[in-house]
Amino acid sequence: MLIALTVLTLLVLAASIRYGAIDFSVAQISRALASLFPGQPEPTLDQRIFLELRFPRAIMCLLVGASLGVGGTLMQALFRNPIVEPGLVGTSSGAAFGSALFFVLGGVLHIGTSLFALPVAACIGGVLSTYLVFLLARAKEDSRASIVMLLLTGLAVNALFMSAIGFLQYIARDPQARSITFWSLGTLSGASWKAVEIVSISTIAGALVALRYAKQLNALMIGEEEATYLGVNVNRLKWIILSVNVVIVAVATAFTGVISFVGLIVPHILRMIGGADNRYLIVASALTGATLLTLADLLARMVVRPAELPIGIVTSAVGVPVFIFLLRRRRYVF
Amino acid sequence: MKKRILVVGSLIAALTAYGCSRFRNAPTNTGPQRYVVISPIYNEIIWALGAQDEVVGVDLSTTYPPDVKNKQTVGYHRALSAEGILSLHPTAVIHDNNIGPPQVVQQLQQLNIPMKTFSAKNSDFDGTKALIREMAVYFHREARGEELCKTLDDQKAASLEKVKQYTDHPRVAVIHFGRASNVYMVVGKGGGGDGGGVSKMIEYAGGEMAGDSSGRGMQRMESPEILAQANPDVILMTDYGYDRLNGSLDQIKALPGVATSNAAKNGRIYRIEENVLNYFGPRSGENIEKVARTIHQK
Amino acid sequence: MLQANNVTFSIGHKRLIEDITVSFAPGKLHLIIGPNGAGKSTLIKVLARLLRPQDGSVQYEGVNVSDAREAELAKHRAVLSQAIEVAFPLTVREVVMMGRYPHFGGRPGPADEKIVDEVMSHFDVTEFSARDYQTLSGGERQRVNFARVLAQLWREDGGTRSENGSSTPCRYLFLDEPLTFLDIRHQIDFMKKVRAFANASDVVTVGVVHDLNLAARFADQIVLLNHGRFVAGGSPADVLSADLIRDAFGVEPSFVSTQHPGLHLIFE
Repeated sequence: MLIALTVLTLLVLAASIRYGAIDFSVAQISRALASLFPGQPEPTLDQRIFLELRFPRAIMCLLVGASLGVGGTLMQALFRNPIVEPGLVGTSSGAAFGSALFFVLGGVLHIGTSLFALPVAACIGGVLSTYLVFLLARAKEDSRASIVMLLLTGLAVNALFMSAIGFLQYIARDPQARSITFWSLGTLSGASWKAVEIVSISTIAGALVALRYAKQLNALMIGEEEATYLGVNVNRLKWIILSVNVVIVAVATAFTGVISFVGLIVPHILRMIGGADNRYLIVASALTGATLLTLADLLARMVVRPAELPIGIVTSAVGVPVFIFLLRRRRYVF
Repeated sequence: MKKRILVVGSLIAALTAYGCSRFRNAPTNTGPQRYVVISPIYNEIIWALGAQDEVVGVDLSTTYPPDVKNKQTVGYHRALSAEGILSLHPTAVIHDNNIGPPQVVQQLQQLNIPMKTFSAKNSDFDGTKALIREMAVYFHREARGEELCKTLDDQKAASLEKVKQYTDHPRVAVIHFGRASNVYMVVGKGGGGDGGGVSKMIEYAGGEMAGDSSGRGMQRMESPEILAQANPDVILMTDYGYDRLNGSLDQIKALPGVATSNAAKNGRIYRIEENVLNYFGPRSGENIEKVARTIHQK
Repeated sequence: MLQANNVTFSIGHKRLIEDITVSFAPGKLHLIIGPNGAGKSTLIKVLARLLRPQDGSVQYEGVNVSDAREAELAKHRAVLSQAIEVAFPLTVREVVMMGRYPHFGGRPGPADEKIVDEVMSHFDVTEFSARDYQTLSGGERQRVNFARVLAQLWREDGGTRSENGSSTPCRYLFLDEPLTFLDIRHQIDFMKKVRAFANASDVVTVGVVHDLNLAARFADQIVLLNHGRFVAGGSPADVLSADLIRDAFGVEPSFVSTQHPGLHLIFE
């Protein structure tokens, strides 16, 4: 099963690096790669487009897709609820708010226009909102944060940040307001090797930590009390998994804008196919998320080329029919 | 099963692509220069100068003259794709400093793609003439540029003469539909850029600009107070927004603050093309007259 | 030996159990009874160390259990609750295997697989092995959970057989109202299996039940709680007296004899 997924991912990756506004033939790709070695002629513009735009973008799709997939799995396991995705604990809206603030104030405060100013702003926003949710969700008598409280507080904080973004859009001058709107639909067009470096660290580290706690997350599936009886420190587990979620989702969101739906769809589909064991699910959702997003990005670049569709639209268009189809076929029990 | 999805999916994609004819034309075989021009006013001037053969790509907001539909579009000016622009193999990208997202701009610079902006701004007639002349030099059509400037002056003078015949000074509000924010807006008296040319045009046309006086370019129509306070005699609605409501007076009156205005009571709500009113350009001379005719009609 | 010393547990100002001292010996089945709100469930949770008492201590074989590490404790302490809520599709085998989680790191070993096979066969749930847990009936689910709990407490050198020589540390089984969703046949069946397990000399078994007849029939020791306090403890005959029952439960018991030995009660 996992092997099949890996093969599928590689196939989709291959398609993604070959096709787009410009189609690269295999020969062109090999020449482009060859130019990296010393002694080879300098790359032509087309080769540079491949090396500096297309290739990192394809890798970025894999990484961000994997992040979102794993984030979705972790959240659903943690909340013991299939209708949960990373955005629900406030991470996405916090990240969006951080970015909106950057768009609106960046010009005024002359914040550095380095490539990473925006992602850093988004990360700070994401961490802030998630921490806020956690702080508010702690019951007073009991230091444990119940999952239901977490969910409800997450909803409230989300509402808070979304209205803050609305306010920013209202006071923003027109071009800035448009930037906010387009950013909230998500795009992979900002991919660069530097970005890939950063996102790969967060994605891979996050996935590895998640795998280490996969067994404990399994135990959580039969209840918080039961998990405690099985030797799991539930509170500690929640903090760790939530932190992993914030890191991988905020970092990915920072570079690509808000891409929703992947975190919701991927674990669902995989559970229908292969069961709920998190050890399998985490790896599979990384692969499937990567595939789904790469496919979505490919479509986004091909359907109206040379222009691009915002990827959020494509992930919904691609994800929803597949989900409905599988739902009807398997009569999924929740 | 997955195959079926793929087939259906590709069919949908293919049909969509076919339907979007603006995105699907084969690039024309042009001369030695290949420009991607991302600005409606620049494109209008280029066509007026007769240099359109050197343009291989335009942005989504460029809609005049109708010929531009034959060019490939690279998308919305704040949501560009570097690869998309580069796939047209441009020799330069011409823009008005209003493009995004920022990372795409950086990518183009990093690949040493020449980027060009003109320093003159079309905020009024003098600025427009300066811009025409600057662009004429760039495109090696100085003579034609001078012609356009002269035509502009002549037409402006003629229009202003005609405007004198109108004795009334209607208060005019302009409603514009902002596609990016998906909302109707009232154009204000602010200068420059989006909607700034509007109040000047109205004034040339013998009207008085009613609406938001906060100095900002446009204001969302969220509260009825904006228009109710202004109580315009005439309401102009730009083409996209007007067509979106199928020109139905009832629907237009349903927008906040419209129904109580003099304009609504007297049925003086008119459609106007965005590229006639919203910015200064080569045709603004004759456009003054068009605007005047529209707002002074009873 | 499980010992509770002056245990008090409160939430806010509300004292759920107060100053309870009681001991539970291994090799016997101890059942806690009492009216609703008596604090039975709370006491079980404190004994199982899910909750830590504000006052007093719980000791496993003389050692205060409050400092024990969660993972270590789980190797010889298991709790069977009313019914678990599973929101995802898990197979029966996966649920039972969770009982072995405290005993292996990453993946289950062949020993774990074998233990799971054995407990599943002991509870007649082998045929459900690949089925979705959520599709089982209440009785079937409890058997699966009992299998899981037993798998957690499994000992290589004895399992459910009684042993001599108590150099091995005790195992602790807690049952928190496990009969709630079972029909009468399954309730009796279940209690018989618990009884058999409780006989092992290295196991301390403490449970909470509502049915006084079941308590009378199966318990070695009964502990009666009311209003969060210890009322009485001892053999069924001692504790199930008319006075105590009337005081605690507010009903009038009558004792009947049948051909079966032991106490039988009916109530007004």
